[in-house]
Amino acid sequence: MADGPGSPAGGSHESGGDQSPRSNVREQDRFLPIANISRIMKKALPANGKIAKDAKDTVQECVSEFISFITSEASDKCQKEKRKTINGDDLLWAMATLGFEDYIDPLKAYLARYREGDTKGSARAGEGSAKKDPVGSQYGHQGSYTEGMGAFVNSQV
Amino acid sequence: MRQPGAYSGLLSGGISGKTGPHLLPLARIKKIMKKSNDDVKMISGEAPIVFSKACELFIEELTKRSWNMTMQAKRRTLHKEDVASAVVATDIFDFLVPIVSGDSDEAADGSEKKEEI
Repeated sequence: MADGPGSPAGGSHESGGDQSPRSNVREQDRFLPIANISRIMKKALPANGKIAKDAKDTVQECVSEFISFITSEASDKCQKEKRKTINGDDLLWAMATLGFEDYIDPLKAYLARYREGDTKGSARAGEGSAKKDPVGSQYGHQGSYTEGMGAFVNSQV
Repeated sequence: MRQPGAYSGLLSGGISGKTGPHLLPLARIKKIMKKSNDDVKMISGEAPIVFSKACELFIEELTKRSWNMTMQAKRRTLHKEDVASAVVATDIFDFLVPIVSGDSDEAADGSEKKEEI
């Protein structure tokens, strides 16, 4: 039943060509990869939960809209302050302003790990995974993420 | 149980060197940022990194709220209508209403809107 309305949406998404002439932008410039989005969605669901393709397509559009929404707010702030470069703090400010204050602490922690690990090469991933749990455990998916980080380190060695 | 997926995804990100430990491709995030507004000229290196995590949090929250709607309807498959219900029920997701309301054509219009902002 939901396949009815879902399929056309999916079709236009996958082909990309349908939308390119209208928006003059290729699909790969407008959206994050559906496989990455699908993977993050699955981690948020119980193991027996399934996701219809139309839901993935919708979330994919929503993520791009989220990026644009936050970026526009941050960009306005930069213009008012006569700065040309949007930085991470501008984005955090924009998220807090627009109601996403719950994201600020995890993002600050993520950024701090990135900053301190930036010059440490492969130690960075290991350190990141060690520190990941306290912050990330509330999101319930860090187990696989941390393991993935371990794999990432191994692949670099 | 879903380990292989997350695992291989991270591996490919790592090997390509584009995303490193991040779950989402930074270059793609940057493109979407630039497209959102003509005034966006320069973006610090940190900004896409912030978004790679922020988008992850956003997708998780939207998915969990949508899944609650799926459960309320006593289903096991999350559909677009669940995402729409979650968006309508959540104040901070108001900006997504044009995307989830109506059929796919309107959804496409909604995503084009950001170019006008």
